[in-house]
Amino acid sequence: MSFRVPSLSITLRSSLRLRLLLGTLVWIAVSIMVAGWALGGLFRQHVAAQFHAELRTHLDQLAAHLAFEQDGSVSLSAAQSDPRFSKPYSGVYWQIDQVGHAGKNVSGLLRSRSLWDDVLEVPSDTPMNGEIHQHRVSGPGDTTLGMVERVVILEDGTPARAERRFRLIVAADERQMLEPVERFNGMLWLTLGLLGGGLALVAVIQVLIALVPLRRLHRALAAVRGGTTLDLEGRFPGEVQPLVEEFNTVLAQNAEVVERARTQAGNLAHALKTPLSVIANAVNGKDSELAHLVSSQVEVARRQIDYHLSRSRAAASVRIPGVRTPVFPVLEGLVRVMKRIHADRNIELVMHATNEQVMFRGEEQDLQEMLGNLLDNACKWAARRIEISVAVEEQSLTIIVDDDGCGIAEAERQRVLNRGERADEMTPGSGLGLAIVNDVMRLYGGRLEFDDSGLGGLRVKLTLPMTN
Amino acid sequence: MRVLVVEDEPTIASQLSEALCAAGYAVDVVGNGADAHFHGGDENQPFDAVVLDLGLPQMDGLTVLKKWRAAGRVMPVLILTARDNWHEKVAGIDAGADDYLTKPFYMEELLARLRALIRRAGGHASAELVCGDIVLDTLHSRVTVGGLALTLTSHEYRVLNYLMHHPDQVVSRNDLIEHIYAQDFDRDSNTVEVFIARLRKKLPEGVIETERGLGYRLVSPTSS
Repeated sequence: MSFRVPSLSITLRSSLRLRLLLGTLVWIAVSIMVAGWALGGLFRQHVAAQFHAELRTHLDQLAAHLAFEQDGSVSLSAAQSDPRFSKPYSGVYWQIDQVGHAGKNVSGLLRSRSLWDDVLEVPSDTPMNGEIHQHRVSGPGDTTLGMVERVVILEDGTPARAERRFRLIVAADERQMLEPVERFNGMLWLTLGLLGGGLALVAVIQVLIALVPLRRLHRALAAVRGGTTLDLEGRFPGEVQPLVEEFNTVLAQNAEVVERARTQAGNLAHALKTPLSVIANAVNGKDSELAHLVSSQVEVARRQIDYHLSRSRAAASVRIPGVRTPVFPVLEGLVRVMKRIHADRNIELVMHATNEQVMFRGEEQDLQEMLGNLLDNACKWAARRIEISVAVEEQSLTIIVDDDGCGIAEAERQRVLNRGERADEMTPGSGLGLAIVNDVMRLYGGRLEFDDSGLGGLRVKLTLPMTN
Repeated sequence: MRVLVVEDEPTIASQLSEALCAAGYAVDVVGNGADAHFHGGDENQPFDAVVLDLGLPQMDGLTVLKKWRAAGRVMPVLILTARDNWHEKVAGIDAGADDYLTKPFYMEELLARLRALIRRAGGHASAELVCGDIVLDTLHSRVTVGGLALTLTSHEYRVLNYLMHHPDQVVSRNDLIEHIYAQDFDRDSNTVEVFIARLRKKLPEGVIETERGLGYRLVSPTSS
């Protein structure tokens, strides 16, 4: 079994929030690291400079206290002021070496009490007179010492005592310098860590707040798609508002195009049907082969026009999002029409409803086309009574039309949905009604089912998408 | 029975006119909305029914219909149009139409619907109008008396048809003229008397009474 993990680039491309968050967090992390490194480095430099400045001060003091005795020996005229020089292994040391000729050096000629028995081993370089060198050397107890040294040359003019050189050394344990640096770094990284955490939290909140308009936009789009609103409603930030306005313009243009298409379809119908009427009536009542041919072909042409116009009208309108139609006014209007155009049949039309506010998610004209054909069909077949029920089932709109006619045999039911097929050639009609209902219903993703009616005739159940 | 045909397509208008005349109607034809509004709205021109197209020059058929109804004109109106949407049918019926037929249409269907409209407007349920022994079959334009077919001329039929639609009512000579002749027909009020006299000879005695100074009355046996 294998799982496909989406690559980071795909995840990043798919989430604006992740992109913003990742970008901000990486930037915060890099800034914190650079700040920590720079501040730590600066502090370390500062402490090191102070450390060496202190050593030089001690070195100057040592040079000042250096005294030459008559016998050629050296001594200190006064003790070093820093008490740590007197405390054994205190970490601060001084030492005076004699630099002899031809490598005859005397290390540790004089040294601080703090060195106790140890002697500092220093690199054998020879600074010029007055020059100060810095070194790192090993000290007592495996310590590392920072060290400064200078050479003092004694010239008394006598040949026997010619020139004598002394190396003055002051050293201190580097830990004295490193400890404050480490303490500082600890505090520094703790502070920077808290700052980074705070910034990351603020960044997350900022991204969430910044993306709130997008979530509102998402809800507004869902409302359009769900048929609650016709366009994107509400004010959005300046960065999003142009997008919203463009989208609303596209929606309006779409609706306009559909309306134009519908008008053109109507004009085409008018343009074609009037000459068809003329032709049909010109041969009306004439009993010749030509007259029958013309009559039958006029009928074929009429069916084709009706079918394709209905279908093209519906196909255009289902592409308009956000359209919704209250079902009841449409049904009431159609019932008024049925009572007039089927007045001679004296049929009783009864409406039942569980929810009178129910809305169809689609165009009013398409709902009229579907329900009009269903009711017209029922009126042609019913004996005395038709019952229309509107209900909501599983988030869908259900319209049931029952009649007390003779019904349609189960084997015939699928056939009447085909274009131009009629269950009974004796009843007037084009045989297109149910086929048009079937086609328009399919465009809306609905369902059309036939069953036996409790009234004794046919039950037609039409299921369509609804909106609240 | 007088019918107003409002149709801007001249060929269809003349086909309708011919068929309606042949079926015994007096037919007036107008070809635009403004004329239709004028003629249909004129109380002095009582039409028994109107066949109305919707796509008309100058004034849309629906507007014409609404104006008629607003002015209190109650004659039955059959809309005959190429607009076949249910949406348009609802608009037509709500504007005050009594029936709606779409083009292309069968002339027989139009005639049947028109007959039914006129019949319902007069409160008659059946296609056969009965007055004593006299039976007028509006479907086949036939009249029988006691089961025997009666031969009538076109104008005699029109006069009897109008009287049968208004039994026991006094119908003035003017009313009869208005309902059996089209507007542009050369009307002579004396011819009505001639038609009544001929009808009296063909029908049982005393069926058509003369109300002096008022007009004529078809007497049904139940009223006497």
